[in-house]
Amino acid sequence: MLTFIIRRLLITIPMMLVISFLVYLGLELTPGDAVSHMIDPEAAARMTEEQFAEMREALGLNKTFLERYWIWLTNVVQGNFGHSLSGGVAISTIVLDRLPATLELSVFALVFSTLIGCVLGTLSALRRGSGTDNALTVVGMLGVSIPEFFFGLVAILIFALNLGWLPAGGRLLPGYETFFDRLPHIVLPGIVLSLMMTAGVMRYARSSMLDSLSREFIRTARAKGLPAWRINLIHGFRVALTPVVVLIGFRLPTLIGGSVIIEQVFQWPGIGSEFIGAVRGSDYPLVMMIALLSVFAVLMASLIVDVLTALIDPRVRLG
Amino acid sequence: MTDLALSVKDLQTFFYTNNRCNKALNGVSFDIRKGKTLGIVGESGCGKSVTASSIMQLLPRLSRIEQGSITYHSETEGEIRIDQLERDGAEMRRLRGDDIAMIFQDPMTALNPVYTVGFQIAEALQYHTDLSPKARGEKVVDLLTDMGIPMPEKRAKEFPHNYSGGMRQRAMIAMAMSCAPKILIADEPTTALDVTIQAQIFRLMNQLKEEHGTAIMLITHDMGVIAELADDVAVMYMGNIVEAGTVDEVLRTPRHPYTRALLDSVPVLGRGKDQDIKSIRGATPDPYERPPGCQFEPRCDYATAACQQPQSEDYITDTHRVMCHRYKEIFDNV
Repeated sequence: MLTFIIRRLLITIPMMLVISFLVYLGLELTPGDAVSHMIDPEAAARMTEEQFAEMREALGLNKTFLERYWIWLTNVVQGNFGHSLSGGVAISTIVLDRLPATLELSVFALVFSTLIGCVLGTLSALRRGSGTDNALTVVGMLGVSIPEFFFGLVAILIFALNLGWLPAGGRLLPGYETFFDRLPHIVLPGIVLSLMMTAGVMRYARSSMLDSLSREFIRTARAKGLPAWRINLIHGFRVALTPVVVLIGFRLPTLIGGSVIIEQVFQWPGIGSEFIGAVRGSDYPLVMMIALLSVFAVLMASLIVDVLTALIDPRVRLG
Repeated sequence: MTDLALSVKDLQTFFYTNNRCNKALNGVSFDIRKGKTLGIVGESGCGKSVTASSIMQLLPRLSRIEQGSITYHSETEGEIRIDQLERDGAEMRRLRGDDIAMIFQDPMTALNPVYTVGFQIAEALQYHTDLSPKARGEKVVDLLTDMGIPMPEKRAKEFPHNYSGGMRQRAMIAMAMSCAPKILIADEPTTALDVTIQAQIFRLMNQLKEEHGTAIMLITHDMGVIAELADDVAVMYMGNIVEAGTVDEVLRTPRHPYTRALLDSVPVLGRGKDQDIKSIRGATPDPYERPPGCQFEPRCDYATAACQQPQSEDYITDTHRVMCHRYKEIFDNV
């Protein structure tokens, strides 16, 4: 197990290198360079060609593409993520500032969708063909097909504006700092972000559970005289769990992608809303770092999924 | 005190699919004697497994016992009418795995892949005995030792995929025997195993029968297995028992044309490769469009017009019974 994890972590290094190169290349190919974004157009109009060339020279933009990539890469590896073009704040400061909020939201959505999805999916499978099952099927299809931002707007309208139960946005109020003070703020964005994933997990858990309940070891368990709950949960659900864990792992990137939009809708001060701002302002260093961070998160998530499947299914061998 | 372990009388189990009714068991009666083996033979789809599922109350949702009785003769509680118990109710669950246990055809899929073999055997003990977890662990090792599994302490902690096919069936038998059942139902226990393993499994079952006095209901389509292991035999065809009796009676003096046809279709070792193996002509009729009288009539070489009338069971001896209009005439021809 340990050697597997170490090996997987080592494989992550070349993958990150390739992806970082692609990200750098992609941004190199976009029109304009740092100078044209740093100086506002009016000032630029009064500058001479020599002044531009001087600035480029000072910023190192005259070096070849590979040279610049190498400089950037060595800096990143040393933990120096560079500075944001707008405002000149260190990117590491921005990331440290914003990342906790995004993690909070994603973890909430992940836990919520896993729990609710599994419970509803199992219920649906156990009451196959009943009213509950049919209702959940319809809800599941709606959940998968309606985009999250729409749910977000509807949720704000109903629960924040009309009913006034929950705050419409933001993460914390001044003076409210404990976990429970902040809880009301995370409920709406967290649930909205997890809706699509919950619906997916539910449908998948249902079919996986139905499959497992039709297997022969269920009959063996019944022939042993075990009570229904033990047959369904200890024997049925446990076997149904493996594919569900794999699905959740694969869906993690959509959770990260979804949080970009949801953070915008709920004014959640996370890295997603920062990302949108950075793209709009052509703040390339920041865009690159955030993109690299999400790639890293996805790679780590898939490693965790592999380890988890090996833990819950003895037939899976890591290696 | 009766010497019977289980009596089945006029059992009818119907399946309902697509608004049609399949009379899977159409009036089946037999007894399982204490400490004896009853073999049930017949081709695929004749109702062998449905009989087993009816006794265990493990029928699929869309089927039910319509008529007849299944009586378990308990040593401590007198007669228990299994057919009147709630399918998954507490009483039925108490019998299952404790008084009546079952082993299945395919040991590859009958064990749960994510739990250790020891855990799965201990589960039955947990629900039917008062043993402590530690005592259960020791009992599991004892059971595996009895089944001839080497290194039982280590093996108990392994998963089904670490076991070979024959070992898994042994583990299944260990599970079934864990609570010393009075009746063991074996539904084609060796069909999925290769022949050398078959012999080992049957030897093991016979040994258990002798040591514990367990009655065995052995479902098979192999006449050789019946000759070897069974005390009594019942031949099933299309949801009926067409002939039943002791092994000697049925195998040496078969009365029903179907029994004879089955015996004729078995190749005999030593007769060479040119021996005349007779297949039964035709195919099993559609269960939804059954023949009006004798179910075997369309395929029977001895059929006459009279065979299209409903028929009844006739007793030749106290134990030997047959369901055929013409068994007397056919008997005379032999």
